[in-house]
Amino acid sequence: MKILVCLKQVIDYQVRVQVNPDATGVVTDGVKMSINPFDEIALEEALRLREAGKATEVVAVSIGNASVKTQLRTGLAMGADRALHILSETAIDPLTAARVLLKIVEHEAPGLVIMGKQAIDDDCNQTGQMLAALWDRPQATFASELLVDGQTARVTREVDAGLETIEVDLPAVVTTDLRLNTPRFVKLPDIMKAKRKPLDESPIDSYGIEAANAAQALNYAQPPERKKGVMVDSISELVEAMKQRGVL
Amino acid sequence: MSPLNDSILPRFESMGARNDADSLDKYGRDHSSFSMPDPLAVVFPRNTEDVVELVQYAREHGIALVPSGGRTGLSGGAVASHQELVVSFEKMNKIIDFDPLAPAITVEAGVITATVQDYARDQGLFFPVDYASSGSSQVGGNVATNAGGIKVLRYGLTRDWVLGMTVVTGQGEVLKLNNALVKNATGLDLRHLMIGSEGTLGLITEVTLGLTSPPPQQAVMVLGCPDMDQVMALFARARNQLTLSAYEFFSDKALQHVLDGGQSQPPFDERTPYYALIEFDCTDDSDQDRALAVFSNSLEAGEVVDGVISQSDSQAAELWTLREHISERISHLLPHKNDIAVRVARLPEFLKKLDALLHEHYPQFEVIWFGHIGDGNLHLNILKPADWSIEAFKQETASINAHVYGLVKEYAGSISAEHGLGLLKRDHLSDSRSEAEIQLMRQIRLLFDPDGILNPGKMLPDPI
Ligand SMILES: Cc1cc2nc3c(=O)[nH]c(=O)nc-3n(C[C@H](O)[C@H](O)[C@H](O)COP(=O)(O)OP(=O)(O)OC[C@H]3O[C@@H](n4cnc5c(N)ncnc54)[C@H](O)[C@@H]3O)c2cc1C
Repeated sequence: MKILVCLKQVIDYQVRVQVNPDATGVVTDGVKMSINPFDEIALEEALRLREAGKATEVVAVSIGNASVKTQLRTGLAMGADRALHILSETAIDPLTAARVLLKIVEHEAPGLVIMGKQAIDDDCNQTGQMLAALWDRPQATFASELLVDGQTARVTREVDAGLETIEVDLPAVVTTDLRLNTPRFVKLPDIMKAKRKPLDESPIDSYGIEAANAAQALNYAQPPERKKGVMVDSISELVEAMKQRGVL
Repeated sequence: MSPLNDSILPRFESMGARNDADSLDKYGRDHSSFSMPDPLAVVFPRNTEDVVELVQYAREHGIALVPSGGRTGLSGGAVASHQELVVSFEKMNKIIDFDPLAPAITVEAGVITATVQDYARDQGLFFPVDYASSGSSQVGGNVATNAGGIKVLRYGLTRDWVLGMTVVTGQGEVLKLNNALVKNATGLDLRHLMIGSEGTLGLITEVTLGLTSPPPQQAVMVLGCPDMDQVMALFARARNQLTLSAYEFFSDKALQHVLDGGQSQPPFDERTPYYALIEFDCTDDSDQDRALAVFSNSLEAGEVVDGVISQSDSQAAELWTLREHISERISHLLPHKNDIAVRVARLPEFLKKLDALLHEHYPQFEVIWFGHIGDGNLHLNILKPADWSIEAFKQETASINAHVYGLVKEYAGSISAEHGLGLLKRDHLSDSRSEAEIQLMRQIRLLFDPDGILNPGKMLPDPI
């Protein structure tokens, strides 16, 4: 079985994101970019399935400008067998991404697509679901455990009420939650090996799809500053303070 | 309750004076093991005037004062075990001024180190003094111990960032030292006497710290090495080829204690006796390629066995935890902590001798090696075997000290690289400093504190 993993480039989780001066976006110049953490988990899960003999090939795909090759190389160094770069100079929305991914899926015919439940930049949480719908295949979102057995996958999902376990027929789309696994570190020798792994580039319009964004961002603003906490000196002061605020 | 104590509480009510058992226990100790707190009371001055008042009261009544910061010190400098009055700087936690041009920040002594770091970052700047206890240690404590940490290799010690300070001497005089000037060739720079004085020359109330531009994007490598010689050979190579900001090392035993905490994963599957953690500037592929070259050359030379490199800042932070969590993870085992240094060039030879010494004389102890090895600083932690009493272990560590410090002396090293002398190391001062130097220190101390009220019994050995 082949597994397709989607990797999105985002501003590194540790970076303090700044709105640009004219409030039309966030500052990305000189800012550390990384693989979306949920996508990193997706790749780790795919690699573990391959290592367990449940999959034979892991293909990583990313849509974005030339710089996303860095994240694809990281994916190859982590262990993906090959990578696909869909070149798009402009940012695209989830529906466009899902349409592109559908083309890839039709061409690659993977048994499983694993992707992050959301990207930490726009927090849309849509692409996986949209791809499943377009592809007309089952979806198992927010996975915290994934067991593949022949033609089915048993997926434990993190839902509001707790954990839900479902079984889906493959091929299917699985989106990852934080507790699914802890991604491995990248070994230096593997970075060297990754340089020799295939990384194919094709422009987004070669799929007959226009880079589009249905939603238009009107304004960007820094979140309001959090009020500073107060230090109390004793339990009794804490109780008193909580009473005053009516939480006790 | 003693009559003295009876009068202190109402006298300093406005400074939150207290003497309940919990407070005495909490404010009477620092992060060093084996301390027996027994202070008289704790007070919380709110400004320099309050501190002056405290000093005057202490002189009149012959009470000793123990300046107390974040109490993360590891040598017992902030321990109060002889009915001293603890002067906590906790309430002096305001940022007084930010000067974007210098750039510099002026803070009260009780401001937490991490607060300065965060403030600087919010201004697009950087305060580089950093270590595992930054979240609780205070600027006053940093200055009083001349704290070092993980970025000394590039950015130096606390001393290099102190532009000025306000300090109250043992006679209640308020000194404003250096006024945040960059250049000031007007005689002896008393500021530098205060830095590292461990609360024995004055109570630091305000500090102006220099800030700098943040480093460019960085990456962290953790590489496995077969022995300490190779850790040092790798250092020479990395220092040559990369722009380093940290070169740390830890032993596999140290790593195991961190992994036992259950929150971290090992860097790679194979375990090696030692690991080097390298933080370096890595803004583009060519930087990463240079790191790869360092790795493959050191692999060929047998310096390293395997290694990983961070691909995101989160991963860099995760790799750092392998080094930074060691101290906390072993603290419950009451380690006998050594913080020693020799010149980097002499380290390989020194380490070999040290290792042989410990093997020969103390095979019964688990020894945890880690430290800021790129600047010659080694944290050597010897763990108390579970079935040993504290007393028996303490006795044995006295003999270890004699052995280890003897070797440090032979190599003209330091018996306390960055943790100060406090109570725990003061009696070994002569292993690092000459009698003439120690005598001068005594005289200087008398000049600043003629009544001996400032942290008595700390830093200097009792005169014989
Ligand atoms: C996990 C851990 C890691 C550490 N890593 C490092 C490291 O890498 N590098 C390093 O250098 N240190 C390290 N330390 C030691 C310690 O954190 C530093 O020495 C720190 O700077 C002490 O600050 P503090 O505010 O906690 O001081 P305290 O422990 O409260 O006091 C230290 C000394 O300073 C005096 N003092 C405190 N405030 C004042 C003041 N306002 N005026 C005059 N004297 C004062 C005290 O009397 C005492 O002698 C570490 C400690 C821990 C627990």
